[in-house]
Amino acid sequence: MPLSAGRKARSLGVAALVVILVCGWSCKPAPKTAYTVPVEYHRLPNGLRVVLSPDATAPIAVVAVYYKIGFRVEPRDRTGFAHLFEHMMFQGSANLGKMEFIRLVESNGGVLNGSTRYDFTNYFEIVPAHKLETVLWAEADRMRGLDITQENLTNQQGVVTNEVKVNVLNQPYGGFPWLDLPQAANVNWHNAHNFYGDLQDLEAATLDDVKAFFKTFYAPNNAVLVIVGDFEPGAALALAEKYFADIPAAELPAPPDLSEPRQEEEKRKVREDPLATKPALAFAYHMPERWTPEYFAMGLLDQILVQGQDSRLHQKLVQEKGVTGAVSGGINFPLGDMFDYNGPMLWSASLIHDETVTPESILALVDEEVEKLRTAPVGEDILARTLIKVRSGYYDSVGGFFGFGRANLLASLALFDDEPGRINRIEDEFRKVTPELIMKTAQDVLRPTNRTAVILKATAKPVGE
Amino acid sequence: MKTKTYLIITIAVVALALSLAAQKQAPPEGGKPKDFRVPAFRTFTLENGLGVTLVPYGTLPKAAVRFVIRTGNVNEAAEGVWLSDLMFDYLKEGTGSRTARAIAEEAAAMGGEVGAGAGGDQSSVGGTVLAEFAPAFVKLLADIVRNPAFPESELARLQANFLRQLAVAKTEPTSLASEAYYRLLYGDHPYGRVYPTEDMIKGYTAGLVKTFYERNIGARRTHVYVAGVFDEKAVEAAVREALGDWSPGPEVVTNIPRAATKRVINVVDRPGSIQSTIFIGRPVVAPESPDYIGLELTDSLLGGAFFSRITANIRENKGYTYAPSSILDTRFRSACWSEQADVSTEVTGAALKEIIFEIDRLGREAPAEEEVRGIQNYFAGIFVLQNSTPAGLIGQLAFLRLHGLERSYLETYVQTVYKVTPEDVRRIAGGLLASADMTVVIVGDLAKIKDQIAPFGPVAKLN
Repeated sequence: MPLSAGRKARSLGVAALVVILVCGWSCKPAPKTAYTVPVEYHRLPNGLRVVLSPDATAPIAVVAVYYKIGFRVEPRDRTGFAHLFEHMMFQGSANLGKMEFIRLVESNGGVLNGSTRYDFTNYFEIVPAHKLETVLWAEADRMRGLDITQENLTNQQGVVTNEVKVNVLNQPYGGFPWLDLPQAANVNWHNAHNFYGDLQDLEAATLDDVKAFFKTFYAPNNAVLVIVGDFEPGAALALAEKYFADIPAAELPAPPDLSEPRQEEEKRKVREDPLATKPALAFAYHMPERWTPEYFAMGLLDQILVQGQDSRLHQKLVQEKGVTGAVSGGINFPLGDMFDYNGPMLWSASLIHDETVTPESILALVDEEVEKLRTAPVGEDILARTLIKVRSGYYDSVGGFFGFGRANLLASLALFDDEPGRINRIEDEFRKVTPELIMKTAQDVLRPTNRTAVILKATAKPVGE
Repeated sequence: MKTKTYLIITIAVVALALSLAAQKQAPPEGGKPKDFRVPAFRTFTLENGLGVTLVPYGTLPKAAVRFVIRTGNVNEAAEGVWLSDLMFDYLKEGTGSRTARAIAEEAAAMGGEVGAGAGGDQSSVGGTVLAEFAPAFVKLLADIVRNPAFPESELARLQANFLRQLAVAKTEPTSLASEAYYRLLYGDHPYGRVYPTEDMIKGYTAGLVKTFYERNIGARRTHVYVAGVFDEKAVEAAVREALGDWSPGPEVVTNIPRAATKRVINVVDRPGSIQSTIFIGRPVVAPESPDYIGLELTDSLLGGAFFSRITANIRENKGYTYAPSSILDTRFRSACWSEQADVSTEVTGAALKEIIFEIDRLGREAPAEEEVRGIQNYFAGIFVLQNSTPAGLIGQLAFLRLHGLERSYLETYVQTVYKVTPEDVRRIAGGLLASADMTVVIVGDLAKIKDQIAPFGPVAKLN
């Protein structure tokens, strides 16, 4: 039940299968092999959105329930609560006691997990296709209501405290840069607080908090149910209606103001890491608004700058200058991709380097590459290659993790845009991007005054042997 | 092996007796199981000994290509740890006709990226590309594997990367535990040498890498897998053209270890550590054993699954830890089992007690039929997942090949799973997983945990 792409994400039972949701899509040269994702979209009378995407490649069904409540929107005196609450969804409902949900799924041949992100909390199961009904029943049971004791809450406070320890407090580079960057770059509390939660806030949570949070956010009209895999759409819709239709809707609170002011001055934050022996550097720029032409241009700039070994930062920092062994980054990195969020967001990159190299000199190298993109349009060959990377990544995404990658994309498009069918139009948006727009976007987004850098100073002594 | 990927099959069981209240609804059973067969594949061998397996599968227009090469850390000398890792990284630095940048750009233009990495017994060079580029990607990979330039100019940079990686690993609790654990189990065998010294890395030369390459890479050691959507004829032609005239090269060199274990609580002292990273385990049997599949089930019931006994106990009941898990780490003709958990420092002894309690309990009392049936169903489901993606299929087939298992192993796997009895599980837990001589490694704050761990065996400080 990870908050994030932390190092200790609970295994789902299959080797080396990681959800890789690549950040871009599609292509300018028409693909030789077209691929269209089937999408059916319904809305039940109680407001529950239902998205169906059949795929008979293997006898598997993915069920994903996404609630439109992420860590951005948790109560101010309860940092980390959205994620703690995610754990409570596994602690018991009317017909499934503690551990019974997990056992039901696994002993029917499935895997499951949940996670908390900026703008949603998700729960999913990947099961043998004939167990679809079993899982829909179980998801409906916990959407209808929870049955949680103080003992269960105390237990999960212990688990989450250990999660924070193993992913942040007891590790070198803990929370770097994914907890550090938003706190340094943003000014609106919703975007700038500690998403994992301060330990005292986690400890302060009560059963009343759990009840109130469920009542406020876990309603069918604040959720989407996505089914991907080997099933018959009519039958699946009937099952969705059978189990979910009688769950009452709730009155949803007005969404909070998540907006960030335009950043006009470069920011720097220094963080000391007493557990690390090698320094690290991260930097981020605020993204343009979702689904604008500039946003898709940033999707291509992400590919050009940091995705893959052909990318400019890899070539410059790894291959030419030997500053680091790897540069990683992206939009909504490492928690998600460019489609699964709904508010202000950062494009970022980070690396670990040697103490003999200064962060300033690394940023100067980054600027060299960025400036090229800000001062001249990229060549058609670069654009063509970038669009191929994007198309390949799109296929990985819609096929990835047994169909969960597709479910994630459909859920986001339904929840944030009310239009899951956009999954098949994404490539058109990328095709519209011109070299001139890429340059203009680089000028506006990748300007030094829109940048935040986090400098990690390593202050540990090595653990000798 | 800088990054270890474990095959973790998880499974489950509730330690608590169920008291389903009468008014509770029972979950719907669902429909009838759909047939699943492992997708058909074709394997052939070229005259020079190179193996090829083609697995047409699925509809997404992408192909996974992987050259699996029968070498890795197992072929390293005592003073040459990570030399195979260095060699595989070095392959991407250029060939007789391509620079590193050209390799990266060509692969990207196919929608892919070249990955190369050493493993314990076998290593890989490969990636995934858009379907139409599969033949071209095979040729690119062939050039990388056959004609490496090992340019002197790039060595210092690769060494610096390795030194940095080593420094980072030496600050990570799990890496420190892993280093100690495998050294204790495998001693002087290459499997016991997880990390090199800084001096080793600094001493590596392009000449040493070249020698390692010549001794360990060639057609006979290589098997090419292509899975997904691709033009089968064109790919076969590309393989024959690009690899048919490769020299057979060296024979496979095996080195089968004798693993040892002793109940000692070995501590890597990490003052100030707020958690203790615990490894507790021992050598077990490898895949050629008739007990291996039973062991896989036992492992999952005990610690592998989300609702396995140990996880239910120390996470869902006690709240001592976040992601405890047991792991079956399988090598060639050798394997070891371990439970691994990062627990809060103040409950180190309590967590260890519960882990040992669960292992011993399963060795004493056969689990209920229902509990075993749940795991068997879980395995049947996971089996479909493992064999229903191009990359997963390649992984499965490479596993079979390494361990000398027939295709029938895969075809009868689920049946074999369902033949395991509760008494088999008890016998395996009580025998193969006997806790009395399990090796324990803890990375944590020795002063704070000393008294807690003393009841479980003699304590040895490793650093």
